[in-house]
Amino acid sequence: MADRYSFSLTTFSPSGKLVQIEYALNAVKQGVTTIGIKCDNGVVLATERKSNSTLIKNDTNTKVEYITPNIGMTYSGMGPDFRVLVDKARKLAQTNYKRIYNEYPPVKIMVQEIAKVMQESTQSGGIRPFGVSLLVGGYDDHNEKFRLYQVDPSGSYFPWKATAIGKTSNSAKTFLEKRWNENLQLEDAIHVALLALKESVDGELIGENLDIAVISDPQDQLLGFKGTTIEGPRFRKLTADEINDTLDSL
Amino acid sequence: MDIILGIRVSDATLIATSKAATRSISILKDDDDKTRELNKHNLIAFTGESGDTTQFAEYVQANIQLYSMRENDIELSPKATASFIRNQLATSIRSRKPYQVNCLIGGYDTKTGKPSLNWIDYLGTQVELPYGAHGYAAFYTTSLLDKHYREKMSIDDGLKLMDMCIDELNKRMPIDFKGVYIKVVDKDGIRLIK
Amino acid sequence: MSDPFSLNGGAAIAMIGKDCIAIASDLRLGQQSLGVSNNFDKIVEINSKNFLALTGLATDVLTLKELIKFKTNLYKLREERDIEPSTLANLISSSLYEKRFGPWFISPIVGGLSKKDNKPFICGFDSIGCIDYSNDFIVSGTATDQLYGMCESLYEPNLNPEDLFETISQALLNAVDRDALSGWGAVVYIITKDKIVKRVLKTRQD
Repeated sequence: MADRYSFSLTTFSPSGKLVQIEYALNAVKQGVTTIGIKCDNGVVLATERKSNSTLIKNDTNTKVEYITPNIGMTYSGMGPDFRVLVDKARKLAQTNYKRIYNEYPPVKIMVQEIAKVMQESTQSGGIRPFGVSLLVGGYDDHNEKFRLYQVDPSGSYFPWKATAIGKTSNSAKTFLEKRWNENLQLEDAIHVALLALKESVDGELIGENLDIAVISDPQDQLLGFKGTTIEGPRFRKLTADEINDTLDSL
Repeated sequence: MDIILGIRVSDATLIATSKAATRSISILKDDDDKTRELNKHNLIAFTGESGDTTQFAEYVQANIQLYSMRENDIELSPKATASFIRNQLATSIRSRKPYQVNCLIGGYDTKTGKPSLNWIDYLGTQVELPYGAHGYAAFYTTSLLDKHYREKMSIDDGLKLMDMCIDELNKRMPIDFKGVYIKVVDKDGIRLIK
Repeated sequence: MSDPFSLNGGAAIAMIGKDCIAIASDLRLGQQSLGVSNNFDKIVEINSKNFLALTGLATDVLTLKELIKFKTNLYKLREERDIEPSTLANLISSSLYEKRFGPWFISPIVGGLSKKDNKPFICGFDSIGCIDYSNDFIVSGTATDQLYGMCESLYEPNLNPEDLFETISQALLNAVDRDALSGWGAVVYIITKDKIVKRVLKTRQD
């Protein structure tokens, strides 16, 4: 019975808009600001993890997630929706790519798979669109290039050199436009990301309240074994101490 | 024991099929036609399991004709027709009850002006050949065809070669196959020679 | 007899040379002992640097030619680049294993050069997709035993394209002459970084 009366919740308004998608974008606009910066030798994904109470154990709450060894993903908007997409993205990377080609998908293919899931949620019966915008960063083995993409609730996606999503995304983007240049290095990119976040964070900026990942050189020590020619994952989370050190040098 | 035989000559394809319809030790019919016209320039000749053969040929015939109805009277080319039939048989061989049908497709491509003969077996094995046959007929006729076939033959030359093959079959086959129908596929369409 | 792998007959081979590879097959298609066609191509060009040769049951040879061509064409549209030989090998492997309990009766061979450094790559498969990587040669088909014998005696590493052509041709020709189900003509492809040379060999027709 349920499927017989399962109409799409996302329907056209007389003016030709899909208001459900606009509402989803509003949810994103209320979310915590998230920054993504790409440079020649890496990608940075940075966001703040807010907690309303000192009683919350905050360090277990992660907002930048590992998808494949060379791809990471973060969001602005609704946390639970993001976790659903992380699960789906990890599974799609395996079933639709690794198990066929025995290698991980390039960033664009991964982004298209995620975007497909998000698009389908705008045209299927009985479900609402995802209340998140995503930043997907990663490295492509075939052309040896880093990539940064934004994916929206509608399922549209854009490649960026640097961008921001969430509450203060407009001002953060203006800031990034001024700071980004072609010969930016990864260390500078992390600096710029922290500076951009500083504008949007109300209280003091500390490592414990930030979630940052970089995708850069292979991290062979994260592999868990030695003595092979296999490259380690390029995705690496920065520790609170590492972030604090960088903050001190700002 | 059914005979189907095909020869491609320079501007036509010739198809010969035996007239006898046999079942066990009996000849049930002496004017059986083991061919179907798929469209104006494509003729299928078939042998195999008796129910399957006509069922399959007529199914293919219906589909080829449906194509022309849908596509503004465009005729499917011999190459496309043969590919369609191969595809059906290749799918069928891995099904619960496969069609046991071997066939020859005599065709004339009106676009390129070239005749063709396609040999397809029940497994879905497809080849384009200058001449070919299925079953026991192949054993008796291929050596004759190897020796006497020429790249540039007229229809009359082809019919003479066909007669040589039929004579050989009449001589060597253990059971009377009641003679053959010979059909020609060329630019004017399909016609019965005898 | 009634083994699907040797119903139609046929042989294929690939070899690695210096910055080049060669891949070749015979042209026979038969029904057991009866020869039906001497023009049955068993090699497909996947793209300008990668080739696939298929021996075994002819209907499955045709089906897989179409299937792998279809999958690699879609790959090119999606990824906006040609497939790499190692990726192609894994794609074929997973496509074959998908039919683990009702396999295609074929033994494929892949040969190609990688895009980045033109590194030669060849490999073979069993009918359910186990990859057999090789640094020298790969053989398949009804003349497998004879081909191994020829390769073991004729092959040497780092041959230039011309010498590799001679070696692979002699290996194939002399192997199929000792197999009743293979022969009836042959094709050889030599793949180097900037060109493909296809040669059709005239052979004995018995």
